[in-house]
Amino acid sequence: MSVTQGGRSPVYVRPMPRTWWLRTRRYRRFAIRELTSVAVTASSVILLALLFALSRGRDAYEGFLGWLDSSGAVVLSAIILAGVLYHTITWLRLTAHIQVVRLGRRVLPRHLVLAGLLTLWVAVSAIVAYLHIWL
Amino acid sequence: MGKRTKMLRVARYRPERAPTPYFDEYEVPYADDTVVLDALNHIKDDIDGSLSFRWSCRMGVCGSCGMMVNGEPRLTCAAFLREFPARSAIVVEPLQYFPVIRDLVVDMSDFLDKLKEVKPWMIRAEEKAVEAGEYLQTPEEIDVYTQFSGCINCMLCYSACPVVGQDPEFLGPAAIALAHRYNLDSRDEGRAERREVLGQETGVWDCTFVGACTEVCPKDVDPAAAIQRSKVEAATHGLQALVWPFGRRA
Repeated sequence: MSVTQGGRSPVYVRPMPRTWWLRTRRYRRFAIRELTSVAVTASSVILLALLFALSRGRDAYEGFLGWLDSSGAVVLSAIILAGVLYHTITWLRLTAHIQVVRLGRRVLPRHLVLAGLLTLWVAVSAIVAYLHIWL
Repeated sequence: MGKRTKMLRVARYRPERAPTPYFDEYEVPYADDTVVLDALNHIKDDIDGSLSFRWSCRMGVCGSCGMMVNGEPRLTCAAFLREFPARSAIVVEPLQYFPVIRDLVVDMSDFLDKLKEVKPWMIRAEEKAVEAGEYLQTPEEIDVYTQFSGCINCMLCYSACPVVGQDPEFLGPAAIALAHRYNLDSRDEGRAERREVLGQETGVWDCTFVGACTEVCPKDVDPAAAIQRSKVEAATHGLQALVWPFGRRA
């Protein structure tokens, strides 16, 4: 699109295509990261639905558990799990990029900050799993 | 230049001849140390004198020779012809997301306005007298902002950022990184003034953290980190204002 500004020669403004996010690898990586947030939402919705079923009594709760055991729900859960894992790991990677940990004049390398965050995540997940499965 | 040759497909925009850009192809000789900027200068000197582009230092310092090379924002003085596949032409275009004035020359006036907007200079509540001496800093205080002071205003980060493409009002990576640099400087007291600019909708909150700005930065300034840290700073300040509305805050 050619645009004339105050008597000067027209400048050309290039249009941005709708498919800009497919153009480069880093744009595609960003798009996948954003898209996997849908999986995070879906896992939250399933958890809320489980709590809602629980509030409606034993039959509703067991009915919901039965649906979770169906092959369709297992496939859906596997897709959601993959999305949530990807989103969480990339999110922690970005957090390590932002978070500066200084030790005097030295800055803790990003991979160590990331390792700390991942360890914390795994530890918290293990505690939640322990409480959920064995208690 | 050597005996080997490579094809360059160069975007041309000459509004007096055609209303839209088009491409011209040029075959240029090259050696291992030939960069895209050398090839463009060869075209201008020996093949087609009408080609327009900006350049100055040829050593990655001035930041004026940024262009899209095979779809990537690059300093053409640091893009060697030998890096690119032998068979296909190297496509050279003006920096994307900027209006094109002519051929490979973009209009950078909007970018310069944005830089000015963040007040990239030392702001003091009260200047001390010259006789009182310098504003001293410890090495630790210098370390805090050094990385963000390396910007050469090459605009590659703007050209990599899809948010800039979609919202031309976005303050953009380099301007925010520069604001962050001054905010981190122990001699500066202008954080509150810059917060008004950074905190607006087209400031730090427009950024979706694609991270492309950091990946293309030739000086490792890491604008993406500067923007996210500015977001943390703005959010912390907002929270402090909510919890303790009458207190003195940084």
